[in-house]
Amino acid sequence: MILFLEQLVNGISLGSLYALFGIGFGLVFATLGILNAAHGVYASWAAILGYFSVEYFGVPFPVAVAIGVLGGGLIAIVVDQIGFQPLRGRKSGMLGALITSIAFLIILDSLAGMATNHQSWAFPSDSFPSGMVDFGAIQVPQMQIIIILSTLICGGGIYLLIQKTRIGAAMRAVGWNAEAAALSGVNPRIIILLTAFLAGATSGLAGVLGGAATSNVSYMLGEGLLLKGFAAVVVGGFDDVRGTVIAGILLGISEVFVAQYLSTTYRDGFTYILLLTFLVARPRGLFGSRDFVRA
Amino acid sequence: MEALLDFWSAYSAAIAFGLVNSLFALSMYSVLSAGILSFTTVVFAAIGGFAAAQVIGTFGLPLWVAFPLAGIAGGIGSAIIAAIFLKLETHWMALASLAMVLITRVTVLNTPSLTGGVMGMMVPVRASVLELTILVAIVALVFYRLHNSWYGLAIRAVREDAAAASTMGVSLRHIQLIAFLISGVVGGLAGAAMATTLQYISADTFYLGVAFTMIAGTVLGGSFHWFGPIVGAFVFTALPSVTQAVLPELQDIAKGVVLLVIMIYLPRGLIDPRARGLRKAARQRQDAAVREQDNASKLVKNAGQAHD
Repeated sequence: MILFLEQLVNGISLGSLYALFGIGFGLVFATLGILNAAHGVYASWAAILGYFSVEYFGVPFPVAVAIGVLGGGLIAIVVDQIGFQPLRGRKSGMLGALITSIAFLIILDSLAGMATNHQSWAFPSDSFPSGMVDFGAIQVPQMQIIIILSTLICGGGIYLLIQKTRIGAAMRAVGWNAEAAALSGVNPRIIILLTAFLAGATSGLAGVLGGAATSNVSYMLGEGLLLKGFAAVVVGGFDDVRGTVIAGILLGISEVFVAQYLSTTYRDGFTYILLLTFLVARPRGLFGSRDFVRA
Repeated sequence: MEALLDFWSAYSAAIAFGLVNSLFALSMYSVLSAGILSFTTVVFAAIGGFAAAQVIGTFGLPLWVAFPLAGIAGGIGSAIIAAIFLKLETHWMALASLAMVLITRVTVLNTPSLTGGVMGMMVPVRASVLELTILVAIVALVFYRLHNSWYGLAIRAVREDAAAASTMGVSLRHIQLIAFLISGVVGGLAGAAMATTLQYISADTFYLGVAFTMIAGTVLGGSFHWFGPIVGAFVFTALPSVTQAVLPELQDIAKGVVLLVIMIYLPRGLIDPRARGLRKAARQRQDAAVREQDNASKLVKNAGQAHD
């Protein structure tokens, strides 16, 4: 029973990372219509920036997290403005943006590889909260609680931002039709920048927290997150933040349980089969709306 | 002569990979030309590659038996995938095909009796550059014939405007199914060619890296004519070797930058039949404008004479 509870918490915290990462991926797909292969690289770079700032400048952990989040967001804006902005209004569709994002994946990935010397680093153990919190029957690492709370706060915040505020309405309007939104007084340029920053920042947060919790900061960090975050977004339905968060957490739990009670070899297979099943049987995901049109 | 031999020994491997990548790119082009973005080429290539490796390694059959078998295996795989995927809309198709690539890797890793599992498989036979050239030439000939056939016309119509094409009696499903089948056969051949060129294949040979490189090569060369993917594959294969000679540390970055520049300034790729059409139209317009001006000046002159 204790093992079950411990694994449950492990699964929830792992799934929270996928969800946190997936929120931005889904936001960009739903609002800007971009399948962004470079989304994982933001997380790698955020983790690397956070690690360097701790290692060389000795900043406290919250500052390192802030640097990673800001860095992720700024890289996302740069990628958007250099790569995706020239494609807008040229009707190159999803293919053009995908190829551009692959170009950035190649460039940023190689740069990250050079920055880390193609090795894996870990945050020094005294630089982040590494203690345990006592919950009676089980003990939970502080980092796992931080990850779960960050996901719930970010997920809830972005959900409220999109559904309840004027900025969110503008984001949805730009996703629906940028020209029509501009006619009704929305500045699409600013909304696009904001969306890109939010996506990069949440990806960066997932990168720094994940890098600290798993003691693995490397240029490979983003790829694993990208594949699982992608699965979470599709299963949850990517125009809905709630779906992404719930699906991400469920995926994390199922992954940990499959590894614990069946076999580690089926761990990834289960996730991807679930992903394909959802795509074929219910492509709009758990919460996906019917009227979602974005070619 | 000496220099030529040196060149050959230095670059024959690059040429072989260029030929293999051409097959990959043509397989991707086949579905792309029907307006479908799909990464399933990698899946077909894995099927064909491991089929060829088994046929050659276990049963000792020659290369030219293995290639058709790999093509057929890829074709069967594509028929199954097309049956599942063709009811999905375009961007869901792209996502599902990515998921399929991920699943393929897990499957390859977990069926060691068929694929060697984590260890991968050695392939005892090596395809020569000449054999690969013949293979690519045959496939290119097929694409050339298709381009000028009813199917070629129909698929261009579907890509430009699916609704208009269907009112003309072109069945969208039918065309897309054929595109998938061609993609499967060529993808299977590409996998076999890859296996007999590398002489070692594993789960990582057929994964996201190759999927991204291939789609990039196809779009770089131009996805509106069958010759584009071949050019793109060669450019994308040659680029790392060229930058390695100049800037060894930056070869990957150079690849990304070239891709980015092409996408921003030449979004339709290097080989673009429309650009030729546009140039022709522009020339005609200019000629017409010159004639117009001549006529106008003649009129003015005539008017002047009449006035005198």
